[in-house]
This record gives sequence, structure tokens and C-alpha cells, in this order.
Amino acid sequence: MKRRLIAAIGVAGMLVSIAACGSGDDGGKDKKAGADGYKGQTLTVWAMDGSTPDTWQKDVTAAFEKKTGAKLKIEIQQWNGIQQKLTTALSEENPPDVFEVGNTQTPAYAKTGGLADLSDLKSSVGADWAESMNKSAVSDGKQYAAPWFVVNRVVIYNKKIWADAGIKDTPKTRDEFYKDLEAIGKKTDAEPIYLPGQNWYHFVGLTIGEGAELVKKDGDKYVSNLGDPKVAAAMETYKKFQALSKAPKDKDEATPQQAEVFAKGKTGSFIGMGWESALAIKANPKIEKEIGYFTVPGVTADKPEGVFLGGSNLAVAAGSKKQDLAKEFLKLALSDKFEGQLAKEGGVIPNKEALQSNLKGNAAAEAAAPAAAGGGTTPLIPEWAPVENAPNPIKTYMTAVLKGKSPAAAAKQVEAEFNKRLSQKQ
Amino acid sequence: MKRSASSTFRRAWPNVTAVILFIGFVFPVYWMFATALKPTGDIISENPVWFPTDITFEHFRTAFGADNFWTLVRNSVTVTVLAVVFSLVIGLAAAFALARMRFRGRRGFIIGFMLAQMAPWEVMVIAIYMIVRDASMLNSLVPLTLFYMVMILPFTLLTLRGFVAAVPRELEESAMVDGCTRMQAFRRVILPLLAPGLMSTSMFGFITAWNEFPMVLVLNKSPEAQTLPLWLSSFQTAFGDDWGATMAASSLFAIPILILFVFLQRRAVSGLTDGAVKG
Amino acid sequence: MTVQTERPPSGPAEVLKADGGGSGGPRKQARARAGTLAPYLLLLPAVAATVLLLGWPLLKDGLLSFQNLNMGQLIQHVTEWNGFDNYQEVLTSSDFWRVTGRSIVFTLVNAVLIMVIGTLVGLLLARLGKRMRVLLLVGLVLAWAMPVVAATTVYQWLFAERFGVVNWVLDKLGWHSMADYSWTGSQMSTFFVVTVLIVWMSIPFVAINLYAATTTIPKELYEAASLDGAGPWKSFLSVTLPYLRPFLYATTFLEIIWVFKAFVQVFTINGGGPDRLTEILPVYAYIEGVGNQHFGMGAAIAVLTILILLVLTAYYLRIVLKQEEDEL
Repeated sequence: MKRRLIAAIGVAGMLVSIAACGSGDDGGKDKKAGADGYKGQTLTVWAMDGSTPDTWQKDVTAAFEKKTGAKLKIEIQQWNGIQQKLTTALSEENPPDVFEVGNTQTPAYAKTGGLADLSDLKSSVGADWAESMNKSAVSDGKQYAAPWFVVNRVVIYNKKIWADAGIKDTPKTRDEFYKDLEAIGKKTDAEPIYLPGQNWYHFVGLTIGEGAELVKKDGDKYVSNLGDPKVAAAMETYKKFQALSKAPKDKDEATPQQAEVFAKGKTGSFIGMGWESALAIKANPKIEKEIGYFTVPGVTADKPEGVFLGGSNLAVAAGSKKQDLAKEFLKLALSDKFEGQLAKEGGVIPNKEALQSNLKGNAAAEAAAPAAAGGGTTPLIPEWAPVENAPNPIKTYMTAVLKGKSPAAAAKQVEAEFNKRLSQKQ
Repeated sequence: MKRSASSTFRRAWPNVTAVILFIGFVFPVYWMFATALKPTGDIISENPVWFPTDITFEHFRTAFGADNFWTLVRNSVTVTVLAVVFSLVIGLAAAFALARMRFRGRRGFIIGFMLAQMAPWEVMVIAIYMIVRDASMLNSLVPLTLFYMVMILPFTLLTLRGFVAAVPRELEESAMVDGCTRMQAFRRVILPLLAPGLMSTSMFGFITAWNEFPMVLVLNKSPEAQTLPLWLSSFQTAFGDDWGATMAASSLFAIPILILFVFLQRRAVSGLTDGAVKG
Repeated sequence: MTVQTERPPSGPAEVLKADGGGSGGPRKQARARAGTLAPYLLLLPAVAATVLLLGWPLLKDGLLSFQNLNMGQLIQHVTEWNGFDNYQEVLTSSDFWRVTGRSIVFTLVNAVLIMVIGTLVGLLLARLGKRMRVLLLVGLVLAWAMPVVAATTVYQWLFAERFGVVNWVLDKLGWHSMADYSWTGSQMSTFFVVTVLIVWMSIPFVAINLYAATTTIPKELYEAASLDGAGPWKSFLSVTLPYLRPFLYATTFLEIIWVFKAFVQVFTINGGGPDRLTEILPVYAYIEGVGNQHFGMGAAIAVLTILILLVLTAYYLRIVLKQEEDEL
């Protein structure tokens, strides 16, 4: 009893001191604000490939440099190998000050001590951040990152090919979708859908649609749940559609970039994020007028397919020597103006409900929106991050099933590796 | 009748084999350049276009267009040349001692360098990374140069030892009889004789240092401090199945080494044929 | 100039020869006494560089192998000793032993292919007329000079599933199931591509150096052999082979090392896939250590990798030790 009381007082004391810190920080900033307190400094920001449209980068850089007098350097990173790069970078003397981190990877990084505490930012500008998006950024009650955006996959299709196959309307159910693709296969010489064997984000979406979990608790440990019949059902759906594609069964959607395959004009559709159409247009500007989008159809017309809510958070490196400046950047990037611009240009779901109006008129975003409500993520646990390291056991599972193994046998095959990663010492 | 057929065969088979081998060895190199020069339509065609007729430099333009391309070229050249030169200099000194002098522990040194030659650098990257990080030398060309130098040093040194040993001792001695010091004898007599040896040894160094990427990948994250192999491998990810651009990038990456080899090897080969005639 | 420009890198044997046929003993000893320090001074830079830049990382790697070092520890610069845990985990995992066995088989297969074909090509070079020899040499040099990173990219293109020229040729030759064959789809086909690549890249070194070595064989030896009534095969066995033996040993040693460490080729072609079935030890160490951010574990595998390589090359090292001993 007594001990608990002391603990409570301790916590209260801590809260007070945190609050004191917060206000102290603010005081410091107030002195600098407006003046050129940051002149001569350069803030480095790592953004992931595809997240930030060029104009957004340009505008936010201009605004940042005007506001703070400091320079802004946005460096675009590839997803491939990013975890290793980020981990080592965070251990360095000069880490990137601000960086984008995938929502499923955030819990693991929060645990490493590499991310600065952003609780004060949350209280100053984050009151209306969408609760569902903020979940991945909070760990043990502390705010380790700021939710930036989420995005879910849609079907991107080639209107001309669909018209050539005599299809009038976009499909509303999974069966219709399948029939349309079959029609394209029969009536045109195009590939109905480009679906490589390891588009695991789409697969995760299907498991969410089935209500399946990828991991389960075994005592206090997480273990593989790929043997669950619901996961198998999701995989069967994937397999059925993959059979219509000539894409390799052992590659993911980035090797080669599916949008670039699509850009050649001989592919009826692919499942990707709205912004991927920009890649296709870059590869072949003529394709632009043919591109259309629709929501991934679910079993019934009233409920779209489950989707993976891939998202990104913005975090500040604990080792950054420009904490205040970094927060200035976050405030700017997350402001209604730039968050709204990002949503508008990138077609991603912004971190505040109020900003969703920006998605109006963006065809990709409008196609994505209906599915978002039923979307989900991979388990938001620190143990998850190692699973995504190459070679990702879920991808191995997918390829095994596509090459003829039964889902149960494939689940068994990767179980040891999956469990090993989930129980990897931290 | 039969005999003449078989003797024709006997005379012809080495040449026929040589031609087949030539094609086998050259084809991948040829195909790289050919693909790089072909328009995309010819690259992804149901039947390969064996000889590019419609030559285009578009893929090369894409490859050149990468950010920082010339910075990376400069970095790669600097690091490679310095690493090779340093390792030749200190390797030659050591090779001379090991080939010409008798001293305690010589055997130990030789075995030591043989062991050093076996070092699997790729698996030590994290240890190296932590050392360089803790020395605050990340994103610099200095550690790269030094590590590449040591990476190629054992081979350089042990090979040069063979070349030094092959120089007849009498030449050196007669120079010293003529009043040269040992250093002068070395410089005036041995070094010129070693020139071809130095060249062919350096080829190995060039190719190793030019190619290295696991280390530079973790040591130098800053785009200005990277080298060409990183560019080439990121190019491949970024351009997916744009084989034209990828092959153009590969060609650009390979050309300097190809030129260097042809240049160095021509001398070595002409030396070889001399040797064959005189031998 | 009677000096051979391209001597094979067969150090030990040549030292033997040079010393054996070299000048007399007494003078040499006097010189040695005069410059006792000289050899050490000459060796100093090389030794210092090696100790500092190779010895230190090796030591560091050894230390890391006894630590629990993951994302958190690396980021916060924390040292957490965990004794032999990493080794215990590695040595008791069946994966490690499978990878080790695979690495050894892979190394031996490649080294044998390289040495046999390389030797044959080298001997062929010696037989050819001048023009054909130059032609073949040009081909070999081009293949030799291809940087690994570029070569792996080219091989990916040659063996590409769609539009790859290899599949096209196989299809045209009547093997129609190869039309859209995925070479990276199975363990054996991936190894096949990697092996073709490695053998292709490595033969030139063996062939050119072996050819150079054969040019140094004194003609008198062959004349003597033919006087004894030896045919071409016999004189090959009694003259060529013994003369080249030290060279062949040295080259095999190098090839074993190089193939064993063929990280870039294996990793770039298929990332150790499919299903981790083509991981060889360096790739395994990289994926477990760096890829999986289990750095202490990676360090332990690295240490074990070095030990296994030592065992593989122990035979040759013993020969060298013995030769140097005889000589001193």
C-alpha cells in the first residue's frame, strides 16, 4: 500500500518534471522563433521512395527555409534494406534529424531508444490526430513518432484494355472481378492482372478481410499463426488471382516495379497504391489517359476487400543535435497546409479527419477510401520488425503455396523461421 | 583418306575449340554492350536481335542522368587508384624482404599474409562499421581507401614476391659491384624488370577495389561519399526490368576496368610471347 | 631480356629455385648480418597496415561474437556480454550445419571445375598458333576484367525469365519447357547460374597464368623426355605436371578462398534464395547478422566461417610451412 502510494507520487512528480521540460523547451524556442536563430544549420530529412511528391518537397523546403532560416535537405531512401540503414544511422553521431518510418516498424524502433520523445509535440499540435493512425506511434504511453499518412491499395486498371474486353462497369464483388479478368484473358492479348507471387501487403489485406491473425500468443511469446484455416483461405484467394498473371511467383511487386510493367500497356490491371500510377506515367506518358482506379472488391458488394493500411510516421532521432529545429519541421510538415497538400497530391489518407476533403477529385484516393475503414495492419508489436527482414518468411510461404504446396504444408515449412524471428532477442 | 581426315581434325580441333571458347567468354560482355545500345523494342522482342542495327544512346543518357554520377565516378577512381598504389608500394617493400632476405620469423610473416588473404571481409562489415563509426570517420573516403588497400595487400605482396624472386640475383649483384648501393641497384635494375609484374599484380587490386560494395554500403550513407557499385546496384532496383538502362549502367561501370585490362594485359601478353620465343 | 613477365604467383617454389640456383652461401650470410634490421623495416608498413586494419576488425568481431548486440544495443552503444550464447545458438542450429555443408560442396565443385577447365584452356593456349592464341587471350581478358557487380547484372539478364537469351536458345534447341523458365526458382538452378558465372569469371586467371607458367618450362626437359621415348601424354605427366605442381597448388588455394567467399555473386543473383536454400556461409552470416540486425550472432557466424576456411586450406598451408622450413 505504502509502496504503491510512493510510486504514485513518483509518477506524479515525473509528470510535473516532464511538463516543466516541455514548457522550458517552448520558452527556449520562443526566444529563437521569428529571428534567424537557426541560420547556418541544415536539417536532414529521410523520406521514403514514393511518399513525397516533388512539388510537396519543393514547397515544404521553401516554407521551412523561410520560417527558420535553416536549410532543409530531403534525402529519398529506398525501402530495400532500410531497416539496416536506419539502425546504423541512428547509432551515429550525425543521424538524419527527421525520418519517415513505416508504421509496422515503428514499435521496434521505439523500443531501441533511437527515437526522441515527441509527447510535447502531440500535446501542442496533435490533438486531432486520428486515433487509429496514432496507435503505431505510441509505445508504453509515450509518443515516439507523429502519424503522417496511411495508404491502402486499390486496383489500378487500363481502361482501354477493359473496354476492349467488353467490360462496361468496374466490378463490385470478388467473383465479378475474377470474371472480368478472365474475359480480358480471353478477348484481348493483354495480361489480365500483374500480380507477382510476393505482393505480401495485398496478401496481408486478404487475411484482414478473412478476419485472420498472422501471429498468436503462446504464453508470453508470439508465434506463427499461418496454419490458421482463415490464413489459408486468404492465400487461396491470392492464388486464384495470381494464376491469371504471368508475373514471377518468387518476386515481389518492386522487382520489377509493377507500375513500369503496367506502363507498357499490355497489362489489364495491378494492385498497388494510388501514387504508383505516377511511376507508370513517368515511364510512359501516353498511358496517363488510360489509367483508372477502383476499390479492391470484396466477397459481397457492400463490403470491400480487406486492405493493409500501410502508413508512415515521422520520427526524430534521439541522437539528433537539432531537436528543436526538427520539431519545427514536424510542425510545418504536419500542418494543415502541407498535410493537406500531401493528401491531395499523393492521394494518401491524411492524419486528421478534417483534412480528408483534400482527397476529393483524386480518383485513386476516392477508390481507396471505401476500403480504408475495414483495413488493418500487421501486428503492432516490437517483435514484428525482424519478420520483415529479407528473406521474409511470409513471402516464402506465399511462393511455396503458389508453386503447389498446400497452405498447411507451406505454413509448416516457414513456421520455424517465423517463430525464430518473433522470438529474436532484442 | 582416313588418315588425312583424322589429321585435319587433329590440326583443326585446337582452333575450333579456341573459337568456341572465345565466343563463350566474350558473349556476356558483348551482350551487355549490345543490349545497352539497342532500342527497347529490340531488347524485349520474342526473338533476340543479335546485332544491334538501330543504335541508340538513350539508355546511356538515362544512366548518366543519375544524381551525383560524376561525384561517384570521382570517388571510385580516387579510392581505387590510391588503394592500389599504396598497396603496391608497401607490398613491394615487403615482397623484396621476403624474397631476397633471410631473417628470423620470415616463415611466420609469409604464413601470416597467407592467412590475411583469406579474410572474409563481407562478414566483418559490422565490426568495421563500429570501428569507423567510433573513430568518427564515416562518410569519408579515407577509411575506404585504407581498408581496400589492406584487402588487396596480401595478394599483391605474395605475388610480387614471386616476381622479385624471378629476377636473377646476379643482375643485382653486378650492379652493386659497379658501385651502386642496394637501394640504387633496386631502383635501376630490379624495378624496371618488375614493371610488368607490378602491372599485372595491380589488375587484381583494381578489380577488387572497384567492385567492393558491402563495406561502402554501411560506411558511407551520404550520397556524396558513395561509390559506383552502390549506384549500379541501386540502379538495378530503381529501374526494375529496364534492361537497356541497367546494361548501359553496367557497361559504364565495366568500361574503365576493361580498358585498363586490355592496356595492361597487352604488355603482359607481349611479354609472354617474348618469353615463349626465347624460352 | 630473359625475364618472364608473367610469373605464376607460386611464391614458395620460386624462392626455392632462386635460392637454390642463386649465389653462394657465405656472402649471403655476411649481408644478412649487415642488415639485420632491414627486412623488418621493409616489412613494417605492410605488417602495421594489416595488423591495424585487419587484425583490429578481426579482434572486434571476436569480441562482438560474445555480445548480445541488436538494434537497441547498437543504437545506444551498449555492451551486453552474453558469454557463449551466440555460439551455442549457432552450433546447435541445424541451419548452420546445413549451410556449412552446402558451402563446402559448393566451394569444392566450383574449385574443381575452375581448375580442370582452366588448366585445359591454359594448355590449349600453349598449343595454339599465335593468331588464335591472341584471339583466345583477348576473350579471356575481357571476361576476367568484367567487374563482379556488372557481371552478375549481365548474368541476370542472360538468364532472365522473359526475354533472357539463354531461355530463348534452349527453347529453339527443342527444349520447350525452358521457354519461360525461372532460373531463380529452385535451389539447383540458382546454383547452376551462380556456378556458370563464377567459373566463367575465374577460368581466365587460371588459364592465363598457367599458360605463362608453361612457357617457362625449359625445352630441354621435353627433349630429354622424348629421347627416353615418352609420348605426348607421358611427357605431360613426367615433365609438365611436376613442373606446374607448385603453381597448381597455389592457384587451387586461391580459388578455394575466392569461391568460398563468393558473397557478391550469390547474394546479387538471388539473395540466397529461394527459401534460403542457396545461402553459403558468408551470405548466411550477412543475413543473420546485418539483415536480421542480430549483429552479435552475425559476428559469431563470421568467426566460425573463418575457422572453417582455415580447415579447408590447412593442407596447403602445411605444404607451404614445410617448404619454407626445408629452405631455411
